[in-house]
Amino acid sequence: MLISLKDINKTYNNGQPLHVLKGIDLSIDKGEFVSIMGASGSGKSTLLNILGILDNYDSGEYHLDGVLIKDLSEKQAAEYRNRMIGFIFQSFNLIGFKTAAENVELPLYYQGVPRKKRQALAMEYLEKMGLGPWATHFPNEMSGGQKQRVAIARALITRPSIILADEPTGALDSKTSVEVMQLLKQLNKEEGITIIVVTHEGGVANETDKIIHIRDGVIGQIEENRQHTAWSGPQVK
Amino acid sequence: MLADIIQEIGSTLRNNKLRTALTGFAVSWGIFLLICLLGAGNGLMNSFMGNMNEYVSQSVTVEGWYTSMPYAGYRSNRRIHLDEKDVAYTRGRDWAGIIDNVTPSTDGKSVVLSKGVLTVDGYMTGVTPAYQEQEKIKMAAGRFINANDLAEKRKVMVLSLSQARELSPEDPEALVGEWVSAASVAFRVIGLYHTDEGNWYRPVTIPYTTYKGIYDASDRVESINFQVHGPKTLAEFKEFEDTYRSAIKRMHDIAPQDDRGLWIMNGYTQNMQMSQAQNILRIALWILGILTLVSGIVGVSNIMLISVKERTHEFGIRKAIGAKPGHVLSLIIAESITITAAFGYVGMLLGMVACEVMGKTIGARSVDLGFQQIRMLENPTVGLDVALEATLLLIVAGTLAGLIPAMKAAKVRPIEALRAE
Repeated sequence: MLISLKDINKTYNNGQPLHVLKGIDLSIDKGEFVSIMGASGSGKSTLLNILGILDNYDSGEYHLDGVLIKDLSEKQAAEYRNRMIGFIFQSFNLIGFKTAAENVELPLYYQGVPRKKRQALAMEYLEKMGLGPWATHFPNEMSGGQKQRVAIARALITRPSIILADEPTGALDSKTSVEVMQLLKQLNKEEGITIIVVTHEGGVANETDKIIHIRDGVIGQIEENRQHTAWSGPQVK
Repeated sequence: MLADIIQEIGSTLRNNKLRTALTGFAVSWGIFLLICLLGAGNGLMNSFMGNMNEYVSQSVTVEGWYTSMPYAGYRSNRRIHLDEKDVAYTRGRDWAGIIDNVTPSTDGKSVVLSKGVLTVDGYMTGVTPAYQEQEKIKMAAGRFINANDLAEKRKVMVLSLSQARELSPEDPEALVGEWVSAASVAFRVIGLYHTDEGNWYRPVTIPYTTYKGIYDASDRVESINFQVHGPKTLAEFKEFEDTYRSAIKRMHDIAPQDDRGLWIMNGYTQNMQMSQAQNILRIALWILGILTLVSGIVGVSNIMLISVKERTHEFGIRKAIGAKPGHVLSLIIAESITITAAFGYVGMLLGMVACEVMGKTIGARSVDLGFQQIRMLENPTVGLDVALEATLLLIVAGTLAGLIPAMKAAKVRPIEALRAE
C-alpha cells in the first residue's frame, strides 16, 4: 500500500468545534489513478491537506510509502512534502517573478541540488510537457493550459511517490481541461505515477480509474471506473 | 543560491519602488550622517593632535607649588621654590641614563623691547641650550643660545620672528646681529625662531646665567624640564615619577603624603587623557550616528513586513513544495541585509565625498587667534577601519530589520498555497 489511512479524525476548533473528518479509512496502491469527489464542506479539502502533509490530524494513522506521517515538525513535514509529494493546484500557484524553468527548478533548490543539474532537469521536464521554447517565459506570458503544464513539470521533477491534484482543471476552459486530464492519464499509464485528483466535477472524476466519494466526513461509495462509465452527465470534452 | 536571492530581491524591489526608495533614503541618510560625524570628529582630533605634536611626549616639567599640610616644623600653605640643588640632583648620577636634557628655566619677566622708535612686548626667560630641543624650536635665522653664551653670561637674546617683524618691519632677518634694548639693558640678537601655528606662546630667551646675573640673584629656579628615557608603560612611568617626586619632596621638607607641594607635569599622562577624550568623542559620535540609523532600520523593517504580508501566498507555495522555515527565514533576512547594505553603501560613499569636501573647504581654512593659528579640521576623513565597522553595522542592522518580518514569513502555513488569490 502506498497510502494507508486508518480512522483519521480531524476537528477544527474555530469557536464551535467542527468535526470534519469522522474516521476515514482508505488505501491507495502504487500506480493508481484515483479521484476524491465530494461537495464543498464534505471534508475533501481537509483530506487533501492531510494527504499532502499540509495539515495535521487529531487521531488515527496515516502511512505514506511506509512512513508514518504523524506529529511532524515543520522541517520534517517540508522535507517529506518535497520528496514524496507533487502538488498541482487549481490556480497553478506558479511564482510570478520566476520564469517557467525557475519555477520548475524550485523544489530541487530546496533539496540543495546544484544549479547546473537543476537547470538541466527543469529543461528536460519542460520539454516533456512540450514547453521547451517557453522555458524563459514568465507565467503571465502563458495560457492557462501552459501554466498548468509548468506546474505539472514542477510536481514531477522531484520524482515524488504521489501527485496530488487539487481541482486541476478548475481554472481552465473545457478544451484545455481535456488536455490536462489526458496528460495526467498518460503520466499514470506510461510512467506508472500514482495520481490523486480532488474534484467536485463528475466529468473530471470520470477520467480516473477509481472514484472515492466522500460525504459528511466519511468515505461513502468507492467506484471502480476502469471503463470510465461512472458519469453519465456532461463529459470532459 | 546567491543568484536566486538576488533575483528574488530584485522582484521585491521592483514591486515596491517608491517605498524602497524612501526607506533606502532613510538608511543612506543615517550612514551619511554617521560618516560625516566621524569624519568631522577625526578632523577635530587630528587638529588637536597636530597642535599637541609640538611637545615631546616624554618631556617632564617640575615646578614648586604651595604645600597643603604642615611638616617638619613648617606651616601649611608654604610656597616651594625649586633651586640649583634640585637641578644638580636631577642632573646627578642617580638618574644617569634615565633623565637627560635637563633644562632649568627662570621665572619670566615682562619687558618692552625697543629698537629705535619701534617697540614690542615680550616675556623674558632665562634658558639653557637644551631648551631648543625641549621645546622643538625651529630657527628662522641665526642660532640658538649655546654653552659659551651661558658660560660667559653673554647679553644675547633669541626672539620670535613675529617679534622681529615688529622691530624691523622691512627685513626682520636683518635684526640678527643688531642690538635691542630690554628694560634699559642692551642685548645683541643672535637668532630668530619660527612662530608656527601650534605654539601660541614663545618667550624672549636669554642665557640662563645672564638672566640670573641681571634680574635674579637667588639660586631659585622656576621650573626644571627634562626628558625621560626608560619607562615604557604608564605603570613604569608612574613608578619613576613617584621615586623622583619623593626625592625632591625630601629636599624641600614636604610631607610625603602631600601632593600639592610639587607640581609635576608630563606628556605621558596628558597623552593618555587625550586619547581617552578622543575615545569618548568617538563613542559619542557613533551613538549619535547609530541613533540616526535606527529610523532607517525601522523603515526597512516596515517595508519588509508589508512585503511579507503581500507575499503570504507565495511563501505558502514555497512551503508546499518543500521550503523549510529556515529557507524562508534566510531569504527575508538576506533581502533585508541587501536593501540595508546597498543603500547604506550609497550613503557611506556620499559621506566620504562630503568629508573630502569638508576637508577642502573648512579644513583648509585656519583661524588666526592672534597668538596662534589653528586649523579647525585637519584631514577630516574616516579610515578603512571605520568603513569596515560601518559595513558590519549595516549587516547587523539589516539582520535586525529583517528579523521580525522573517519570523512572520517563516510562520506562514503551507495551506495558504491552496487558497485562491
